[in-house]
Amino acid sequence: MPWFRADLHLHSCLSPCGDLECSPSAIAVTAKQRGLDLVALADHNSALNCPAFAEACRREGVAALYGIEATSREEVHLLCLFATVEQALDAGELFYRALADVQNIPAKLGDQVYVDVDENILGAVEKHLVGALDYSVDEICEAVNSRGGLFIPAHIDRSVNSMGSQLGFLPHAPYAAVEVTRSPCPLDTHDYTRICNSDAHFLDDIAMRWFAYEAETVSFAALRDALAAKRVRLSIES
Amino acid sequence: MKLSEMSSSLGYTAVQDQFQDRDIQHGYTSDLLSDVMANAAEGSVLITIQAHKNAVAVASMAGIAAIVICNSRPIPDDMLETARSECIAVFTTPKNQFTVSAEVYNRLQAE
Repeated sequence: MPWFRADLHLHSCLSPCGDLECSPSAIAVTAKQRGLDLVALADHNSALNCPAFAEACRREGVAALYGIEATSREEVHLLCLFATVEQALDAGELFYRALADVQNIPAKLGDQVYVDVDENILGAVEKHLVGALDYSVDEICEAVNSRGGLFIPAHIDRSVNSMGSQLGFLPHAPYAAVEVTRSPCPLDTHDYTRICNSDAHFLDDIAMRWFAYEAETVSFAALRDALAAKRVRLSIES
Repeated sequence: MKLSEMSSSLGYTAVQDQFQDRDIQHGYTSDLLSDVMANAAEGSVLITIQAHKNAVAVASMAGIAAIVICNSRPIPDDMLETARSECIAVFTTPKNQFTVSAEVYNRLQAE
């Protein structure tokens, strides 16, 4: 079976901490150049750039997933990845309603714009996206799994906004995998499948970390099976 | 100070009152649970706004006797159920962490 290279944690210009150069189309072009087979957009608490990302990835011939990096009430970052744009937008609407009502100030906190595939700005999100949702880790897990998504705690070994930093341990829950940034991971990952992604906020950082999975096809279902069977290799371990 | 005095003396509302009425000698104030786990003394009262069941899991690992949830943060049922099964007291108050810390500190110092 072939191995597919994936980077499933990318930010676009919709994330206030993301570079404005990170349009969905520029991300797709860069991902193609760097030899990625599967990419996922996961902006903070919003999926509004996913429609343009879908179109851009189709143009480049790169397979895509559509996601959100949700912030739980514990202020833990959680990757929520879906097979379709519609699922991601649906989860995004649910999350946005539960996001703390703090208005973004672009000059101080960064721009939060969503665009079309040709980089035309369609609008700006009003609430500051790097806040916490009024949902616990468990509630976000349920929202993602009930929508058929992949629920993956993000960068669990980082010193901020991670299971490690906020809780100090990795609670048991139905994760599709856990995302690490280092090997060996200082946190006990129990028997969960580990993956690594770039968490790129700048084009240059795309594929800085990636993982490969062994599957018949590049599809979402095949990825899910490969994660469950631990048929993965991490760039940080090679 | 006995745990029960958190209600009778300091006026916090016990929302999980299935606990052993033990003597308390320490308090720890933090909203970062990894910090609680690393630094809170055994048998402490934890003063926080982290109202979710993972706070109870950390409290249990760190040997915390009671949690005071400040600012009247809503407390989910699964947090109270977990606390009940771990015999960890949970109190709630509209006061903030600064005020509660001062009240608990003064009460402990007076002994």
